[in-house]
Amino acid sequence: MELNINGKSINTDADPNMPLLWLLRDELNMTGTKFGCGVAACGACTVHIDNQAVRSCVMPVASLAGKKILTIESLGENDKPHALQAAWIAEQVPQCGYCQSGMLMAATALLARKPKPSDADIDEAMTNICRCGTYQRVRAAIHRAAGTATTASTGLAA
Amino acid sequence: MKRRTWLLSALGATGTLIVGWGVLPARSRLGTPAMMLPTQGDVALNGWIKVRADGGVTLAMHRSEMGQGIHTALAMLVAEEMDLPLSRISLEQAGMDAIYGNVAMFVSSLPFHPMDLEGDKQPLLVQTGEWIVGKVARELGINATGGSSSVADAWSPLRQAAATARASLLESAAAQWQVAASEIKVKAGVLSHASGKTGHYGEFAKAAAGRTPTVVALKDRSQWTLIGQPALRTDVPSKTNGTAGFGIDVRLPGMLFASLRQAPMLGGTVQSVDDKATLAMPGIERVVPLTPVAGSSAGFAVVGKTTWHTQQAARALQVQWAQGSQGALDTERIKAELTSKLSSEKGFVFHDRGAVDKAEAGAARLVEAQYHAPYLAHATMEPMNCTAQVKGGQVEVWAPTQVPGMARAVAAKVAGVDIDKVTVHVTQLGGGFGRRLEVDYVAQAVQVAMACAGKPVQLTWSREEDTTHDFYRPMHVAQLRAAVTAQGTVDSLRIKSAGDAITPRWMERGLPALSGPVDMPDKTASEGLFDQPYGFGHQHMSHVTTKMGVPVGFWRSVGHSHNAFFSESFIDELAHETQQDPLAFRAAWLAKAPRHLAVLKLAADKAQWGSALPAGQARGIALHESFGSIVAQVVEVSLHNGAPRVHRVVCAIDCGTVINPNTVAQQMESSVIFGLSAALYGRIDIKAGEVQQNNFPSYPMVQLAQAPFVQTWIVPSTRAPSGVGEPGLPPLAPALGNALFVLTGKRQRSLPLQA
Repeated sequence: MELNINGKSINTDADPNMPLLWLLRDELNMTGTKFGCGVAACGACTVHIDNQAVRSCVMPVASLAGKKILTIESLGENDKPHALQAAWIAEQVPQCGYCQSGMLMAATALLARKPKPSDADIDEAMTNICRCGTYQRVRAAIHRAAGTATTASTGLAA
Repeated sequence: MKRRTWLLSALGATGTLIVGWGVLPARSRLGTPAMMLPTQGDVALNGWIKVRADGGVTLAMHRSEMGQGIHTALAMLVAEEMDLPLSRISLEQAGMDAIYGNVAMFVSSLPFHPMDLEGDKQPLLVQTGEWIVGKVARELGINATGGSSSVADAWSPLRQAAATARASLLESAAAQWQVAASEIKVKAGVLSHASGKTGHYGEFAKAAAGRTPTVVALKDRSQWTLIGQPALRTDVPSKTNGTAGFGIDVRLPGMLFASLRQAPMLGGTVQSVDDKATLAMPGIERVVPLTPVAGSSAGFAVVGKTTWHTQQAARALQVQWAQGSQGALDTERIKAELTSKLSSEKGFVFHDRGAVDKAEAGAARLVEAQYHAPYLAHATMEPMNCTAQVKGGQVEVWAPTQVPGMARAVAAKVAGVDIDKVTVHVTQLGGGFGRRLEVDYVAQAVQVAMACAGKPVQLTWSREEDTTHDFYRPMHVAQLRAAVTAQGTVDSLRIKSAGDAITPRWMERGLPALSGPVDMPDKTASEGLFDQPYGFGHQHMSHVTTKMGVPVGFWRSVGHSHNAFFSESFIDELAHETQQDPLAFRAAWLAKAPRHLAVLKLAADKAQWGSALPAGQARGIALHESFGSIVAQVVEVSLHNGAPRVHRVVCAIDCGTVINPNTVAQQMESSVIFGLSAALYGRIDIKAGEVQQNNFPSYPMVQLAQAPFVQTWIVPSTRAPSGVGEPGLPPLAPALGNALFVLTGKRQRSLPLQA
């Protein structure tokens, strides 16, 4: 079957039941999208399907024909980062970094839908798990990218 | 045996056995150029510093990056001493030489009371103990990233290595230019002289390689331009675009993938297996039986074309498991047994001051309480995984590990080769928290690779295998008792706790050659109880070490993670019992602990302790020292639909000299969230030897919507650096419990907290 991943047409003979996550990681060697739980509970595997944030670990390849798939690899380059990536760096969001591909894909989907999100919007959209506890910087970085920053962000006070 | 006598004789025995008794000075950690990778055009000057042709520097990075920012902090130390911008320091993985071992972590495992470590004159026992353990640790050279010790350990040797390299470069330039070295200035890696001569480090590297500098001086702190200033972490860009390479991201030509099926009950064994259905599934190559090594479980790895294929196939294996000796494990029963041991066993005395028996006998009343903390899993976001290749007598391992040397040793043991036939590549770690101080998953990957005819294979655990086959934070119980006089003064504090010791179990698994037949008292069991800072005249702290059979391991902040909950909740109880404000009560007993008092006051001031809060909110406070650093936190909480909702956490920390304040703030935020997940939800239950929780739905975590805003205030200090990655965690649970007490009037003595 044919899939559209990051604007490129890709032919694959993958098992139609295989979740997109594993096609990306183990067959296409696109390892930016992470495996965390396998049950759509943690969000580490978040990608966009037709501009919606989707957990790719439970999304069978068969359901994706004709849809537009975007992964973290499409977001931006080091010298040309996406506004959210730049905000992520400015706010020093990542620690171990493992969940951050999923966080960024969830955040880009949010901003596409709501360019000026409220805190409540962010609470609702950002349900990814981060064990390093980067949440307040994730919130600050989304506000920064959206131009809605209102409060001190990182909490470093002295 | 008395504590001190025991300690000296144990240390003496260890020192004699391992290094021989000598008066030779402690081994230098400068190292030699041969310890670094030879790379074209670059010149190594010692075991840490290699000067590149372009004048930049490559640093031998001996510690694992797992989110704590250590790759940036250590590079900052080198950049500072060499007058280079941080961007000119690149990293290569350090080798396996002893200079890269972690001395500070082992020295801090000594059960000294922190008050004995204050001041200029330390007791002889402390001096002797630290000298012996430091010497042993330098000889052994065990490389571990853990115990919040990386900066403390590298602080002296790494700056020395950088300053030595700089001095030999400078003196080489002076010789070539025929000027005095003292007349040469260095700015951004460029040397210059008033005569107009100028050049970068790369131009003098060859001459410097053979030169022993005559003058090596560390910069005075007044000259620092990088240390203490917030720096952008060098690893962050790669963590915003998916290019950071974690263990699970290793991709090699011809690589196979493998998934696990381990005995569902702890210590279970295989009675029989039918793998016909599995082998008939598409994309499956083979099924490899796994022998328990280094604490790993019995079971199978299924090898095939993708992780998904092998996950499906591993589930399809028909296995008859048999219960092993741990088959009857039950956490409710363990809790009852630990509680009964508090009265039936004497325990080891970690601290004894004054005469507690007498104080209790003469008390107007006794305040007494019993506390409990459950088993916990680590749940790193990146599940356990390891990639290995065994080919032509050589073993190559790619592992997200906190202990590369132990990983190498276990790989050699499994493959039956000499240790020098094993290469370990340390990847980025998707979280460590102590779980990756274990090498069980490395041993498994090598077993699988040995069955794969020279092909590389990546073994990835499912989340379910990861949660049910962890080395858990051990369950602990504690009995606390205070004698209160007729005037309402607390006269004595007695704490007795019980639970499994971690260190001897960890050594059995990962360092069997150093593991003794008898468990020595393990500081991690009583840390945070015996060493609390309050000046009560009579104190007695003891611990009953148990061996319940549940695999236990180091979990972020280790014993402090539960013991701070016990001690700081009970301190709060004492304040309320004696009708005192929890802040004032603590402050009154910290007269001889000025650093603790300053931290406590800073947090209270910044949180405006005592000021009015919105209706339905309450504050709680806690203070705790761990890993050489002191943290106080004020938590503001309300109840939302009956569940605690933490709005803000104000943190104050004294961690000595700060390298990167940005990292300190990150680690406070990180520890608060990690501690909050544990305080609100964390529990691992075991029934009939099987762990009941298996994935995030049953082992939940705090998410963004529940995350409080964390503010960090750092106490300025000129002391040597101490820990940052863990000390923010212990005070969170007691501060939250203390706040909930104000809100509900109900004292919570068991974790996780209830609404």
